Amino acid sequence: MGAGRRRPQLRLPPAEGEVTVRALVIDDSRVMRRIVTGILKDLGYEVQQAGHGREGLDVLDGGWVPDLVCVDWNMPVMDGLQFVSAVRSNPAWRQVTIMMVTSESEHGQIVRALAAGAHEYVIKPFTADAIRDKLALLGLLPQEVVL
Amino acid sequence: MTQHPASDVLDTGERRRAEDAPPSIADLIDEATIQSIAEEAWSALVGEEEYLVPLLGDPVQDAISSWVDVVGPWNGSVVITTARTTAEELSRCLLKEHAPPVIDDEDIEDGLGELANVVGGNVKAVLPGPSALGLPEVGSAPAAGPDTCRVDLLWRGQSLTISVQGSAGAPLDQ
Repeated sequence: MGAGRRRPQLRLPPAEGEVTVRALVIDDSRVMRRIVTGILKDLGYEVQQAGHGREGLDVLDGGWVPDLVCVDWNMPVMDGLQFVSAVRSNPAWRQVTIMMVTSESEHGQIVRALAAGAHEYVIKPFTADAIRDKLALLGLLPQEVVL
Repeated sequence: MTQHPASDVLDTGERRRAEDAPPSIADLIDEATIQSIAEEAWSALVGEEEYLVPLLGDPVQDAISSWVDVVGPWNGSVVITTARTTAEELSRCLLKEHAPPVIDDEDIEDGLGELANVVGGNVKAVLPGPSALGLPEVGSAPAAGPDTCRVDLLWRGQSLTISVQGSAGAPLDQ
């Protein structure tokens, strides 16, 4: 999945000269947010969290634009598919890579998410290795970034 | 005028009604499939060495349930029920090294809810679609009717049940 999509460009803070990769984890489950956040922090990400799509958009609107968003599908207030569509409708956020992390495993749902603008799709249950493999496919493993 | 032979047969509508009846869960999924889905969820999220044993354990004390509703050609719920202490242990395993020193009620309910969400989502994929998956709910288990497929399991020696229960014929909640 995600074949043929552009390779994300990572930001390079001028002061430190180190690559900082930011991720936003959006899930209505606090436990799941902690699990995904833990995996990403272990990989070297700087992470923020949101409890639903609207909160996620608020983070982006506030100027904290991540390189990667891991977003659940079924959430209150604004679901993951609505979030993906909202992000893709704003040209200022076109560099944001979106990975859906969800228990929705039907083929039709996967197609809908990718058509809406998600780059990758991870079906729950997942392992840390599965997340790492997907990020490697996307060129988003911080320690493997070539300057 | 030529008469069609079928027109001689009285159409009682019985056959059409039988075809319109919602499918029974027993025709759609079995205990082995539910257990297989649960085992995959446990292995990935709870721990690689965590096993579910298909045995009926002791009756659950201080039970807590979490469930997700499935709405589509088949309507019902996927319910996980266990003791609150077991749910607390599960949440601690889910969080692994990221678990806080004290697992509070929100963590317990959230953890069990996420397991119901994951198991429910994969059960939904086996059922006829398209279907919609509801958000996880936690509390006393919704009453089960006759259209139920139930698996009794042991995790670390503690009782845990997973039931896929149709809403048709289920007793109404009081």
